[in-house]
Amino acid sequence: MIPKYTPIELLKPDIPGEGLIPSGYLHYPTHLVDAITDRPARSGQAITTMSPAWGPNPPGLGRNAYLAAVNGELGAPINPSVQDGNTYADKLSAVLGARDVPHLLCVPSWEIDRIPRFSQAVKALFADLTDHLRGDAASAYPMLAALPTVAWQYSVWSGRLAAVPFPNSGPLPWALFYRKDLTDRAGIAAPKTIDELYDFGRRMTNPSKGVWAFGNLFNMVQMFFKCPGSKGGWRKKAGGGLEFKFETAEFRQALEFATRLFQEGMVHPDLVASKGADAKQLFSAGKMIAWEDGLGAWRGMQSEQSKVTRGFDMHPVPVFSAVGGEPLVWGSAEPVYYTFLKKGLGKERTEELLRVLNWCAAPFGSKEYELCLSGVEGKHFTRAADGSPVPTDLFNQELATPPQYYVLGGRAAVEVASADVPHYVEDLLAYTRATIPYLEPDLFHAIKVELPANYSKTIVTTEDKINDVLRGRRPLRDFDAIIREWRNTGGDEGRAFLEKILADNGR
Amino acid sequence: MSTIAPAPIPRTSATRAAWEEKPSPVTQLGKGTILTSVVVAVLFPMWSIVVTSLASRQTINEAGGMVVIPAELDLSAYVTIFSGGQVTRAIWISTLVTVMGTAVSLLLTVLAAYGLSRPGSLAHRPLLFYFLLTFLISPGLVPSYLVVTGLGLKNSLWSLILPSAISVFNLVVVRAFFMSIPSELVDSARIDGASEWRILMGILLPLSKAAVAVVGLFYAVSYWNAYFNAVLYIDDNDKWPIQRVLQSYILAGQSPHVAGAPVNLPGITAYPPTLAIKMAVVVVTVVPALLVYPFVQRHFTKGLIVGAVKG
Amino acid sequence: MNKHEVTESSRARLGMRLRRDWPLLLMTAPAALLLLVFHYVPTLGNVIAFQDYNPFEGDNPFEAFLLSEWIGFGNFETLFYDPAFWDAVQNTLSITLFQLVFFFPLPIGLAILLHSIGSSRLRAFVQGVIYLPHFFSWVLVITFFVQMFGGAGLLAGQLRQHGIEPWNIMTNPDTFIFLVTSEAVWKDVGWGTIVFLATLSAIDLTLYEAAAADGAGRWRRLWHITLPALRPVVVLLLILRLGDALNVGFEQYILQREAVGRQAAEVLDTFVFYQAIVPQQWGLGAAAGLFKGVVGLSLILAANKIAHFIGEQGVYQKT
Repeated sequence: MIPKYTPIELLKPDIPGEGLIPSGYLHYPTHLVDAITDRPARSGQAITTMSPAWGPNPPGLGRNAYLAAVNGELGAPINPSVQDGNTYADKLSAVLGARDVPHLLCVPSWEIDRIPRFSQAVKALFADLTDHLRGDAASAYPMLAALPTVAWQYSVWSGRLAAVPFPNSGPLPWALFYRKDLTDRAGIAAPKTIDELYDFGRRMTNPSKGVWAFGNLFNMVQMFFKCPGSKGGWRKKAGGGLEFKFETAEFRQALEFATRLFQEGMVHPDLVASKGADAKQLFSAGKMIAWEDGLGAWRGMQSEQSKVTRGFDMHPVPVFSAVGGEPLVWGSAEPVYYTFLKKGLGKERTEELLRVLNWCAAPFGSKEYELCLSGVEGKHFTRAADGSPVPTDLFNQELATPPQYYVLGGRAAVEVASADVPHYVEDLLAYTRATIPYLEPDLFHAIKVELPANYSKTIVTTEDKINDVLRGRRPLRDFDAIIREWRNTGGDEGRAFLEKILADNGR
Repeated sequence: MSTIAPAPIPRTSATRAAWEEKPSPVTQLGKGTILTSVVVAVLFPMWSIVVTSLASRQTINEAGGMVVIPAELDLSAYVTIFSGGQVTRAIWISTLVTVMGTAVSLLLTVLAAYGLSRPGSLAHRPLLFYFLLTFLISPGLVPSYLVVTGLGLKNSLWSLILPSAISVFNLVVVRAFFMSIPSELVDSARIDGASEWRILMGILLPLSKAAVAVVGLFYAVSYWNAYFNAVLYIDDNDKWPIQRVLQSYILAGQSPHVAGAPVNLPGITAYPPTLAIKMAVVVVTVVPALLVYPFVQRHFTKGLIVGAVKG
Repeated sequence: MNKHEVTESSRARLGMRLRRDWPLLLMTAPAALLLLVFHYVPTLGNVIAFQDYNPFEGDNPFEAFLLSEWIGFGNFETLFYDPAFWDAVQNTLSITLFQLVFFFPLPIGLAILLHSIGSSRLRAFVQGVIYLPHFFSWVLVITFFVQMFGGAGLLAGQLRQHGIEPWNIMTNPDTFIFLVTSEAVWKDVGWGTIVFLATLSAIDLTLYEAAAADGAGRWRRLWHITLPALRPVVVLLLILRLGDALNVGFEQYILQREAVGRQAAEVLDTFVFYQAIVPQQWGLGAAAGLFKGVVGLSLILAANKIAHFIGEQGVYQKT
């Protein structure tokens, strides 16, 4: 059912990737390949799309040179509807509930997890792509056939291939960033043990100077203590069956440790007081020294802040184990987005839409990729001395974040060097390479799971209670009672549900 | 109609009516203290917002957040917001929606408020409850979406106006004002043979200017601040109203979270907006409010004489 | 009217009333029609409160409403058997009550104070300034409070300089109700004065003049003219606020919920958000909405009764 994997490599990487580690390129290619010569859209009919973005609103068709250029290549007038990623859930539930979907609908995987009965939505609303893409049939769409198999495995609902995936390039959700420039000045090294982390917190906190060591870091602390993380925190028990992280000794230790950090005032009070506080601003200003965020935060902040603060240097703390043995990190190979095609458009139209997605999925090294991600040379970017694109103001105005077409089709992940962040690619790949071996195997790898509502709700409630302990509002000895309540109000239901899924899948 | 003569007595600056006694020093001191502290409590943060919006990144980093003491005049936040024309365009769209919407809303609200202002008229009570009930039960997301798209209003600016055109709260306020006007006025006009329309336009409205101004302000503000209807009903990015566009600057670079964990979005470098941009957005939001208020406020300052009805 | 009296004469009276009142009905019609289309029709969708609503059932969205499984009061049971729901209701009502006492009167007092300023230019300036925070987002309002009173804020910095360990204003669950009320006052007290200022400006100045001529002083004029003039509007707004008793805001609470914990900061809207909106339990959300409506309606009816009892008109009139 899955497309036959036929990789394309237009360029030899300087640092070859493998598995979940992206390939690294230290130089921008001098020659780009024209990977797709045919016009993907031949009917000339308009195509409607909807996709999320996290940034300023770009102008629409007729006022946007980027859209004009890409539409020229595609051969169809597309006016992409770009919706705010933060309110995407509301928009999605309206269009799904009213069954008013565009021709191409891009849905982030985390939104799908929240939509109950999504498999029924797929059946009611979206085209079945199985016959178009299964096995060798995918060779008609070479860029799609080059997407990793695991991404396609995730794109199956009720036994049918239902979406084109955007593969995950960074399976590691969290990193603990710290200000290396400031800790070097203070003569403190990155912590390598849990005691050193505590010591780091004590020594870097200085309220009279308005400096606190930490922002949020409870997720990282849980990883340091090797709490399980599959599907939110499940692992197999030695004697069979599943146990959730709340039920493990590791979690209790992690909670105890993190509670101490809060109690001893090492966490920045702004972040303790309001969810709306701006952790990135505090970190940039050096008012907070270390906090957890996605690895994706690294490049942008390093690039921006090195223009502002001389010597600004942020790095992730290498992962370590607080309980002996090798470290453990959470992660999942689930795709980032899926693009669904509207149901009932007919064979030819569906093929046309797939060719458009095929174009959007062109990999690094192709002309299509550059146009898709960076726009038109001379308008949206100029070239630096090394040939790499330097965005212009027009780029920031006309391309969404992520760019309107780029988000519709995924491609193999790459990391490309640029002058503004000189060592970034090497540093990132070194960290990834050092961390990936400790990636906890995902128990539910490539299985579609629609969790029972009771279970999802009780997780929220229980996290509230754990938060009370973490912030010192409830004593640690209440923890057993909290876990008992969790089991009774949906925890055990979730366990039975997930155990059955594993059994059904023979795991 | 000859019985009334609404005549404004202008209370000019710093004058006191002949019958008003001079306030005691203690009263004046008390009033002064309260008003000064209230004004300072607003102006100080407002100052800080403006200064921060004009500050460079260095200054913001040195302050560790909001800036109080201006160091330079850095307009780059405003340049970012206004370059590309999307914000300017959205300001026009929102102005259009606000003006049209307020006109429609005010007209319908005043008419309905008058229609409901006479207890004992036909179907008065059931109609009143018909309006009040909407205040208490709100429709769901999907059904509303179905109605708006079913009427062909998707991507139309009317989708930002019609679903929220009637605020029952405002209607009840206007109605209360109408009802507070001495009924003798209305009764005598009716005996003179004035039509309902004449009574509303000739007697009640001139006497309720302040209320209409207030409710007009409430409507205008809600249209100007409207955000969520645009999320639902406007797919065309060129038709977004101002709050929707400004919001996109504030939320820039926020990485989404999956079950509490952030997602790495491939190929995207996240540049979170600077604090200066966030504060410039606040300034852009507040300025229209500053501009509009004096026009509304004008209607408050005129004491009205409700003619010699009883005399 | 007695129900047995559906006779010729009452029909004739109806005809007469119709002839008399048709302009009023015509004036009410456009607004009523808009509400019918954009409010009442979609409100029918609230039937999902009694369903295990499945938006993807049937061939179209309308069939989904008809064909989803009917579960009677199942969603209501889920709500009512959840102690956290009642905690949230209790928190919400406490905050409403607290704010009725400590917030509601402030705009009235401020409006009277403003009205008493002789200089219209000064008055206009003060009014124009104090209503601005209404336009700030909650994130910004809370940011200001954190910067003033938070552990890294101005006040804490001053205290530390004098060797005093600052206390936690922003994270103390016991004083949270004061905190949210202060925030709300700062944001909306100026905005709240507007209705009252409009009412005050409509007072007939000759009344004051006559009272002054009769020898009534400042306070007596306030007591006998200003306050009675405000009374109907105050009562009206009070009743409407009661009808809204289960709405105290959402964003303000969700932003500070972690800081003080669920016990103090969970209000009905945040509860519904986490238990129904996030997991997309639409039926549960609709049930909570209906609960709010029923409570609001009962409170309005009760408050209106009380208003009639003390001789006020309220929202609707006695028959």
